[in-house]
Amino acid sequence: MDCIEFRRLILADPRTRTPEQEAHLAGCSECANLARGMENFESRLYQAMNVAVPDALAERILLLRRIRPSAARVWALAASLVLAVAISAYFYPGLGPEREQVIAAASVGESHPAVAAISYVVDHESKLLAEGRSGDPAIMRAALARLGLKLPSRGVNVRYLGKCPVPSGTGEHVVLETALGKVTLILVPDHPLGPRIIVADRELTALTVPVGTGGYILVADSIDHLRRIEKTLM
Amino acid sequence: MALFESRQSSFERLVRAYSTELYRYAYWLCRDRFTAEDLVQEAFARAWRGWQNLRDGAATKSWLYTILRNEHARLYERKRPEIDDSQELDEIVDTGSGSVFDQFEMRQALEALPPTYREPLLLQVLGGFSSAEIGDMLKISEGAVMTRLTRARLALRKIVGNDVRRKVTERWTA
Repeated sequence: MDCIEFRRLILADPRTRTPEQEAHLAGCSECANLARGMENFESRLYQAMNVAVPDALAERILLLRRIRPSAARVWALAASLVLAVAISAYFYPGLGPEREQVIAAASVGESHPAVAAISYVVDHESKLLAEGRSGDPAIMRAALARLGLKLPSRGVNVRYLGKCPVPSGTGEHVVLETALGKVTLILVPDHPLGPRIIVADRELTALTVPVGTGGYILVADSIDHLRRIEKTLM
Repeated sequence: MALFESRQSSFERLVRAYSTELYRYAYWLCRDRFTAEDLVQEAFARAWRGWQNLRDGAATKSWLYTILRNEHARLYERKRPEIDDSQELDEIVDTGSGSVFDQFEMRQALEALPPTYREPLLLQVLGGFSSAEIGDMLKISEGAVMTRLTRARLALRKIVGNDVRRKVTERWTA
């Protein structure tokens, strides 16, 4: 093997060394220098390619697969939602937001945005809060404004701001701290959330509110807390 | 894939095993972190839908890379995403390994490479694929892959040694 062949091979695949390459290295100081330099070069190349990966990426992929329903499940979900709304309307005609009833998660199914939001909070939020990362407040304010919402100047602190998977792609995930405790706000840009509904699951309560082509979901530990924070945001 | 492993648990294992490297591959294809995450999400969604096409467990990784590559090609047909420089600078600070200058320099050099050189290099360095496997994925001969890899590294060494150092120095001293 000559120097040209050695260099061609090491540039094509620096990880692999054939016996012929090793034999050439033993007798050629110039190529040995090149081989040492290539190790450093490869390390720099790998580090440059090794960009930071978003937090909890695998969990979000798995969650999205769960909440992105198949065509059959869409029809089943639609049917169960219609049924749930019809039952609510029959038993509680004319109730305003103050007297909305809480529906059990089993009535709407685990694919419902409210139940999926509760799952996301239960499964991922504590880890995200512990990592303490924060997104762009300007993006959050713009997303809130599109939904006719705004953060009050006092009484509510933003504890976490990030992205989360929603059926239409990516939504804003905001964790707010109020006098009553923690509230999660998920802004869904372009996916119909169905009718306004309150769902209880695993000691949490979620409220979905459709606005325009999207909407928002609030998750808190009680319905009273949900209503208070919703008023504050409007 | 284990013989009696359910489709769901196999899928979860794949997501946990490959989402990180697929994200990095996607990032270097589109150079936008939000688009990269969308690409990975969509690639895994397609993988789930096309599960029955996965016959050979050993080929799983290249199958996922190929799906992602096709997703990127579809996206590229629809629109070419705009690249935000400030975002790229933020990414460099986030990685936490190697010197910031070194990474910036090498990333600029990688971006300057023609896609036909960059792509086999990504598949080799990030994916750990052999020249023969890369040839199968890109539908070119193994010899052509080796030629592109050689040229890619030659070009990178040249760029890193000259242009980028000059440009960055000019930018930082301006």
